[in-house]
Amino acid sequence: MDTFLQVTAYGLLQGGLLALVAVGFSLVWGIMNIVNLSHGAFVILGAYIAWEVQGWFGLDPFLGMFVSAIVLFCVGYVIQRYLINLIVNGPVFITLLLTFGINMALIQGMNLVFTADFRSIQTSYGSNSFEIGNIRIPLVRLLAFLLAIVITFALVAFVKRTRTGISIMATGMDRGAARLMGIRARHVYALTFAISAALAGMAGTMIATIETFDPSKAGKFTLMAFVVAVLGGLGNMYGALVGGLLIGLVEAWAGQYLSGTWVNGIAFLVLILVLIFRPNGLVGKAFYAARVEI
Amino acid sequence: MLEVKKLCTGYGRIQVLWDIDFAVGENEIVALVGPNGSGKTTLLRAITGMIPVKSGSVDFLGESIKGQSIEEIVSRGIAHVPEGRRLFPGLTVRENLILGAWRTKETSVDHVVDLFPRLGERLNQIAGSMSGGEQQMCAIARGLMSKPNLIVIDELSLGLAPVVVDEIIQALPSIAESGTSILMVDQDVDAALTIATNAYVLEAGHCVLSGKASDLLADPRVQESYLGVG
Repeated sequence: MDTFLQVTAYGLLQGGLLALVAVGFSLVWGIMNIVNLSHGAFVILGAYIAWEVQGWFGLDPFLGMFVSAIVLFCVGYVIQRYLINLIVNGPVFITLLLTFGINMALIQGMNLVFTADFRSIQTSYGSNSFEIGNIRIPLVRLLAFLLAIVITFALVAFVKRTRTGISIMATGMDRGAARLMGIRARHVYALTFAISAALAGMAGTMIATIETFDPSKAGKFTLMAFVVAVLGGLGNMYGALVGGLLIGLVEAWAGQYLSGTWVNGIAFLVLILVLIFRPNGLVGKAFYAARVEI
Repeated sequence: MLEVKKLCTGYGRIQVLWDIDFAVGENEIVALVGPNGSGKTTLLRAITGMIPVKSGSVDFLGESIKGQSIEEIVSRGIAHVPEGRRLFPGLTVRENLILGAWRTKETSVDHVVDLFPRLGERLNQIAGSMSGGEQQMCAIARGLMSKPNLIVIDELSLGLAPVVVDEIIQALPSIAESGTSILMVDQDVDAALTIATNAYVLEAGHCVLSGKASDLLADPRVQESYLGVG
């Protein structure tokens, strides 16, 4: 029983991070209908930036993640504004091709700059943990989990409560009508993508305090973001949270009771089951159900 | 206020409008009438930049707006209520209205609720869940939120119950008096010409008739083609 609870706790803690990885991916998909295959590369890039910042200035990763967020916000904005916007109305195959290319460029770029060696961000408190009953909770994982949850809720509050956030939702629902309001759709798209990249960067930094990373891990995070986003319901941010926690749990249980190689298989099995029984995802229906184009 | 001269436009290679001349003045209600496919919607789209103008000029408040983006034209003070209303279906009525005031950052909805009191009761309702008439009121109110100099309304009464159409039509003169001129397209020619100051008749992409709305209402050609009289 103790093993089960321990594994469950780890799964939940990991799930919070997966949710943070996926929430931006889901936002971009829901608003712009872009499946961003370079999302995982943003996660890894965020990890490298925080790693470098720690190396140069000794900045704690939980502060360094804000540097990652700012850098990735800018990178994301520029990529969307000057690259993806050119083909944002194209067929999904074209957007897939472009983000796939961006992904390759980023990964190879990181290989060149940072080498393919495994890295991790060490902290003085990295091995601290505390116990609840017989369950051991590592401090860093708990901190990362709590931050991931807070950031996800902050994003939801931003999108639903602020003028800018509402303009993002409106542009996602009907781009043509949004432009008729005077909303600059190209800027809104770039902003949405920038926010998504910034969140990926923060998630990447926190992941780097827990496990090792290298450029080739990018694909794994894109895949996880995809599974979690579809599981939760596209564009649905609470859905990404629920989906992330579920996949975290499933992965932890599968890793413990089956074998490590089954982890991805089981994750996709859960995805397929959810899609059979709840085609719109776990949480309600996708908010952008009524998309129209000009 | 709005002056269009020799305007030609179309979709891709297919030309839809030829040499259209017309003008909308201060506090005026101008109606565009004509059969389906005559180019009324296309003309409205060309004015607000939704489709490019091929030749001719479009001046608004003394400056050319030809070739500008939708966002630029809208921020100069033209609101466009598009065909099919195009509300943001998943947002509340209040959120829709607030987005209507995107360029002026106005957050008070009082002045449009005064105009359409029904919206006042529905501010927190999801826009897509309202009846067609209420959605049209919301769409017009959204257009008026930024207190534009000109509001362009496409297919005002399409698919709406006559009672609601009356309610909306009744509100138009007070909108025009309060400083927002109206350029409208409506299939209900009788109603449109009754409240309009001036009107233009389009046929197959050409402006075939224009003048004071009251004169057109009495014109035998209009009566025969659109009013089923004579």
